[in-house]
Amino acid sequence: MRGLVLPRSAVRLIGPLTVLAAWELAARFGLVNTLLLPPPSKAFADLEVLVSSGYLWKALYASLFRVVCGFALAVSVGVSLGAAMARIRLVNDFFDPLVELLRPISPLALFPLAILWFGIGDGSKVFVIALAASFPVILNTFAGARSIDANLIRASRSLGASEIEIFKGIVLPASLPYIFTGVRLAWGISLIVIIAAEMIGATVGMGYMVLEAQQTFRTERVFAGIFVIGAIGFATDLGFRRLRQWLLPWYRETEN
Amino acid sequence: MSGHPGRELVRFDGVTLTFPSAQGRDPVEVVRRLDLEVRAGEFVAVIGPSGCGKSTLLSLLAGYLTPTSGRVLFRGLPISCPGRERMMVFQQPALFPWLTTAENVAYGLKLKANRGNGRNIEETVAEMLRLVQLEGFARHYPSDLSGGMRQRLEIARALAVDPQVLLMDEPLAALDALTRRTMQREVLHIWEKTRKTILFVTHDIDEAVVMADRIVVMAQRPTFVLEVEDVGLPRPRLREDPEVGKVARRLSTLLE
Repeated sequence: MRGLVLPRSAVRLIGPLTVLAAWELAARFGLVNTLLLPPPSKAFADLEVLVSSGYLWKALYASLFRVVCGFALAVSVGVSLGAAMARIRLVNDFFDPLVELLRPISPLALFPLAILWFGIGDGSKVFVIALAASFPVILNTFAGARSIDANLIRASRSLGASEIEIFKGIVLPASLPYIFTGVRLAWGISLIVIIAAEMIGATVGMGYMVLEAQQTFRTERVFAGIFVIGAIGFATDLGFRRLRQWLLPWYRETEN
Repeated sequence: MSGHPGRELVRFDGVTLTFPSAQGRDPVEVVRRLDLEVRAGEFVAVIGPSGCGKSTLLSLLAGYLTPTSGRVLFRGLPISCPGRERMMVFQQPALFPWLTTAENVAYGLKLKANRGNGRNIEETVAEMLRLVQLEGFARHYPSDLSGGMRQRLEIARALAVDPQVLLMDEPLAALDALTRRTMQREVLHIWEKTRKTILFVTHDIDEAVVMADRIVVMAQRPTFVLEVEDVGLPRPRLREDPEVGKVARRLSTLLE
């Protein structure tokens, strides 16, 4: 195949495009029941309707607002708690069993309770997102702060660093790649939890939009919603990777 | 070049080190009544069976460990904590991966304890990078450097704070044979240029004979000084020299 050299990003489009094309053709030629599996072109057409009517923006805004609030809470609580647990024994002994007991519980199991406590609006969603997303941040921050090469701290002590200088100059930057991984996982979990929570109990949001479409048998709208949800997850994860290259240019993924 | 008539810089005075028992295990005696004296400007190699506590000797001198009994004196005063007059060079370089080559060298100079000593940071960094021949790599991260370059960078970072003694813990053990010979010449060159006292732990007898003024032979654990050999051969020495071979053979019979 000399002479035909595509950039790698273009090559990576071939898989998804082939699936879309096959799906479109299968639906057009009546190979599948289009009530259950409408062609993607119909889903994209419905997406246009959702955009122009403004309904999509309303749903998207509601969902992302909850996600951002819950995620921000999870990151701030998770980083401080993880760091404190790694450095202070008593804090670790107090919180570690709690974390390990709560972590295996599906966040959605707590959602009915959250509705009772915080209502059907934003509060209950923010609560379950914050809870579910804080675990990866806590665990990764803890691992990061604990895994620092002891010789780095020794070297910096020999050079004359004070305890504060060691924390700011060594412990913090050394944990950053771990914290970043935790934050990225937390964002992914937040996106998963919000859709599920909105399907269980909400009056607006992407999850609610998809569920409502299913109940009124508008399959193309179900797919339109799923496309948007997928695109957001894909784009934001790409954003996180770019952000890491910018924030941690020294970090090589293969080394850890 | 051998036998620098320097003043006494380091003295181990009947040093015993016992690690306390932990988790049901018996206490371990690592060093037993060790006496040793190092004069300013000397290049002293330390050899001995693996696991005998050669590195422990350096850790005591660096101030990372405190003797159970006896005293480790630096310029006549007992060592109580790490300090920049005694810099360690680790076997696996303990470089700060988030700092560039130049920033690693500058790290020690920027610490509060070392500020205002009249040295210009930029000038010192440039001078150090020139000394270890890394001028062209100032903006590289440690992960972009080869093993030999990382080791040179660690030496530069240590020398930047103007220590009186360099404690080198098998600094060349992780390098391939060819790089290792080059680095032996490099270290000697740096020693001749800076006139720093060097304590150089190695498990390679030839390396010790090629490089050192004096060679300290350590006994099996719990370790003490078995013998001190004055090499007394003119430099530069090659490992192929019959005189070097003679000394090396004599030392290796000691270690058997």
